[in-house]
Amino acid sequence: MRHSIAAYKDAIEHLHHYLSRFTPLSKQEFGTLLTYIEVREFEKKVRVIDAGQVERYLNVIAWGLARKYLPVRNKEITVQLASEGHLIHSELSFHYRTPSAAVIETIEPTVFFSISYDSLQQLYDQFPKAEHLGRQLISDLFVKKDNHYYDQLTKNTRQRFLEYVHTHPQMLQRVPQKYIASYLNIKPETFSRLKHLVRPGRR
Amino acid sequence: MLELLRQYVMGYVTLTPEDFSLLAEKIVVRQFDKRELLLRPGEVEQYMNFIVKGLARMYFCRGREEVILNLARERELISASSSFLSGEPSNYFIETLEPTTLLSITRDDLEHVYKQNSRIERLGREMTTYFVLEKEAWEHACMRLDTRERFLAFVEKNPELVQRVPQKYLASYLNMKPETFSRLKPLLRRRPLANVNR
Repeated sequence: MRHSIAAYKDAIEHLHHYLSRFTPLSKQEFGTLLTYIEVREFEKKVRVIDAGQVERYLNVIAWGLARKYLPVRNKEITVQLASEGHLIHSELSFHYRTPSAAVIETIEPTVFFSISYDSLQQLYDQFPKAEHLGRQLISDLFVKKDNHYYDQLTKNTRQRFLEYVHTHPQMLQRVPQKYIASYLNIKPETFSRLKHLVRPGRR
Repeated sequence: MLELLRQYVMGYVTLTPEDFSLLAEKIVVRQFDKRELLLRPGEVEQYMNFIVKGLARMYFCRGREEVILNLARERELISASSSFLSGEPSNYFIETLEPTTLLSITRDDLEHVYKQNSRIERLGREMTTYFVLEKEAWEHACMRLDTRERFLAFVEKNPELVQRVPQKYLASYLNMKPETFSRLKPLLRRRPLANVNR
């Protein structure tokens, strides 16, 4: 994979912008934070972490697309679809330092901004604002998880489908249908049937 | 009472007595009878509550059905955390199941203490991380375990809740029909040692 310097600059700027939503960071503060970050690049269809491995990294997607799934009885249950600017990691494994039950696999060629477990602990100890930033980030993650879970329990298939495609219009083009169907807990056949709802001119 | 809370938070981070007193100054004691509602859908959760004594549940209504998302007892937290963290109206009810004593702190007071002291902010981060991980672990369990395995995993971890919580609530929490729960209950008697040891 080859990418232009401008592409990295752009992605780094997005990261600054993304983090500043949680707490304002000066150029200098963001620069300090960057020294803890690694850039990791993967081709498409690569397992970034496999079941049984211990997750070393917390990743933000610079560009590309990845999914997280649980292998359950010969099936793969997609639990997350992440694109640019999204956080993705096997969190139980990362925090408890235990083998991962989940697999993270790229769908497109993907570049991650990653921070290792050890670097993250150092960052918390050495960089005063990190504590606040970390708390805001994790709170946001909790709220999103809670909303998604509540939606799964209260909304019907059609509502879940329509809300997802309206809030993530580009995903329908980029992600294989079966992954979205699995993520929304909709049968693939039902998903195909619902797709006519988003054909041009029928929105 | 504060000693219980101190032990609890020290499980997450080490606080000096001065740190802890910053937190303790903001704590209020709240007492409830059984079957009192602490929160209704549409309200913003103002409190993070630590249970000193008693038992509470968090749930929402889907049609006529009550879906229980959380059951909390002594030395555990109960709060509509998502609303507490975001300031958005809650989707959930919180109700006591027994007479309950809570140590509570408001959103504003907690934010204020976070600003004063970075170790307490770390406590907030660690606890919120733990909430996320618990949620994740629960969702994984629901996907990976079948009904019977879910039942056994729960009763092994929470033997005394089986005595204290009405069966239909346990069934709802475990996402199974009350009949299924009844059918699985004999499994408990076959595992007396597991209960005694805990």
